Amino acid sequence: MKIKALAVGAIIFAGLLLAAENAAAQRTSSDVLDSHKKVIGPRNPDLSDGADALVRGDFERGVELTEKGLENARGSFELKAALSNLCAGYLMVRKPQEALQACNRVLEEDPNFWRAYNNRALVYLELGEFELSEADILRGQELRPKSKNLELTKAKLLDATDPVVPNVEIDERRGSADEQSDRGTTL
Amino acid sequence: MLVLPAVAQEGVEPVDTDYDRMPANTVVPEYPEKARRQRIEGEVQVCFDISREGFPRRVTVRESTHPYFEKPAVEAVRRSTWRPIPPGEEVPAIKACRTFRFNLVPVPPDERD
Repeated sequence: MKIKALAVGAIIFAGLLLAAENAAAQRTSSDVLDSHKKVIGPRNPDLSDGADALVRGDFERGVELTEKGLENARGSFELKAALSNLCAGYLMVRKPQEALQACNRVLEEDPNFWRAYNNRALVYLELGEFELSEADILRGQELRPKSKNLELTKAKLLDATDPVVPNVEIDERRGSADEQSDRGTTL
Repeated sequence: MLVLPAVAQEGVEPVDTDYDRMPANTVVPEYPEKARRQRIEGEVQVCFDISREGFPRRVTVRESTHPYFEKPAVEAVRRSTWRPIPPGEEVPAIKACRTFRFNLVPVPPDERD
């Protein structure tokens, strides 16, 4: 089966800092039903519609559809997508324990799935498990060193554990003597 | 960016009122979000000329400890102004420099949410 995937998982933050990821639906295609026909379209419409709902902020609906999509998931890729999206969705509907279970299942399926580490790090952050969150971020960064999402998640962790206030000071002074030898002109 | 009128500049004083140019509006750059996220602090010294009308010219970075801060510092100077020189008055040409120090102040535990 030829699988065309647009995205795998999503993390959406509503009202908080930044979205770590904003993924479109995963779409799969079934390329042959019989020898005469070829049907292209979402193989798992609940999964893709669920992802769309999560992206647009309809989290309750997104979770509902994605749960259905999980029931109909075929293959490892769809399974990971469904669980990863559920992890994100449960987090957004304030069900961190369910989110954690979903993320744990993804990682059982694929221990090298960096997005799941990112998602689970956010769940741990929500639960106040900062050390576990940091461990997942580090693991995710081992797998995907340049991930912007992991960088953002790490920033959220730092904001929780080590909050800071930005400060800018200004020091006015005349140019030094050697600079004055290269005088600008007063126009 | 934060713009401070001359009278409201705490801690920013002219070096020499005889001929040094008095700031009119001092723009304070915002802390770059990318640097804040990564907990990066730094310092930039920007040097420039000041026109008779009070606008900065030939704004350049003389020194910096991290590139993240250079653009905000240069933009802040470019948007700043100084008091113009009255007609007929001559002022020696000098190169002015302004140093911006970007630092992150920890929030004490008892002040956290």
